[in-house]
Amino acid sequence: MFALVLMSLRAKQRKGVEFFDVLFMEICSPLEKASTLVIKTVQKAFQEHVFLVNVEKENRVLKQKVTELQEENRGMTEVKLANERLKRLLQFREETPLSMIGAEVIGQDPSSWFKSVTVDKGERDGVKKGMAVICPAGVIGQIIKTAPDYATVLLITDYNSAVDSIVQRTRAKAIVEGKGENRCQLKYLLRTEEVAVGDAVVTSGLGGNFPKGLTVGEVKKVDKKGHGVFQYAELSPSVDMTKLEEVFVIMEPLRSSPPQEEKVKKGKKNRK
Amino acid sequence: MRRLILPLLAGFFFLVFQTTFLSFLPIQRIRPDVLLIFTLYLAFLYSPIFGGILAFFLGYLMDLFSGNTLGLYTFSRPLVFFAAQLLRERFYLEGFAFQSLFAFLFSLSEGILISVLINALQPIPLGSFYPSFFTCLIPQAFFTGLVTPLLFFVFRKGSAFLSREPEQGIAERGYRP
Repeated sequence: MFALVLMSLRAKQRKGVEFFDVLFMEICSPLEKASTLVIKTVQKAFQEHVFLVNVEKENRVLKQKVTELQEENRGMTEVKLANERLKRLLQFREETPLSMIGAEVIGQDPSSWFKSVTVDKGERDGVKKGMAVICPAGVIGQIIKTAPDYATVLLITDYNSAVDSIVQRTRAKAIVEGKGENRCQLKYLLRTEEVAVGDAVVTSGLGGNFPKGLTVGEVKKVDKKGHGVFQYAELSPSVDMTKLEEVFVIMEPLRSSPPQEEKVKKGKKNRK
Repeated sequence: MRRLILPLLAGFFFLVFQTTFLSFLPIQRIRPDVLLIFTLYLAFLYSPIFGGILAFFLGYLMDLFSGNTLGLYTFSRPLVFFAAQLLRERFYLEGFAFQSLFAFLFSLSEGILISVLINALQPIPLGSFYPSFFTCLIPQAFFTGLVTPLLFFVFRKGSAFLSREPEQGIAERGYRP
């Protein structure tokens, strides 16, 4: 009934109605305003804090994901590099007419005076003392100690190492001795022999341990200034001994000349 | 028995650490000799007999995994142990500088002993061997000395944790390396 009266008053546009409208509006609006403010504040708080928590969480998840992906990428790169390395090893093994067994380097020499590495192949795999250890880049050393599953390789850079070698170009004979610190020297190299910086040095095959023609290194320095029968030459090994990972142990030579030597001979023939 | 087994196991661990993790250092010559530092630490804790056996075994381990076929470390490590035992009462070994100097001198002395023995036992004297004193021995001795206080601290904490007798040994004897 009241509503009908009110409707009627509104229809007739009486002034008293407007007064009540204004009155109620003035009373309610601040409440409404306050209510809106509260809602907006809460909404803002939610947007800025509660939702930001999600953003932070999302950020954390994304960062973690990025880290995981970076880690995965590093792993993939490592796998790729290992794959390339193993491919080279496999290719080398297929091309080399020697009975070889692959081994992984598992440790370095604990002292600084001696240069050796430990490999994960031992007597059970047929590894014996004195066997030559090589990699596609050249000679690494020889086995000096064996255990059932492991062996120690004396590197050619060790002071105790001596490898019978020849200078590939001039066929001059010399003994490659270790000098430590990834360096070797050519001993008993006759003064009359012509040896130049950059000459390749290969194994002579006379020592008994190393087959003929394996790359040992490159001549880095020649010194004839001193007196005596012999000249002094310094050699840089073809293999970086500080970065050894996979190596081959030569079980027994099948032929006296590995392909590197043959290739040189063939090259010379072709040139002729 | 425990006091003998635990250092042996620790010796194995440090050897593996030295031959693997430390080998990844970009410059090989700065690789500190952790087993030597451990031997020096044992000299403060152990009696001559037990300690001597341990030092012998640690030297033997070194020789086993190195290219050295003569057993030079098996000889030198007990010597280092006994020398350290003799000198521990005559030196003030508190603080970074003294501990570093102590280890540096021992590392240097052992290196000289080893190099003299290598050269003496060669049928033909090794030419160009002694320059490695400057390129190899001194840098290694220096870095061995440098990490010694840190490793002594780690060993002390480790032995305290393992034996649960934190003050046994060093403090009883009045030493705190």
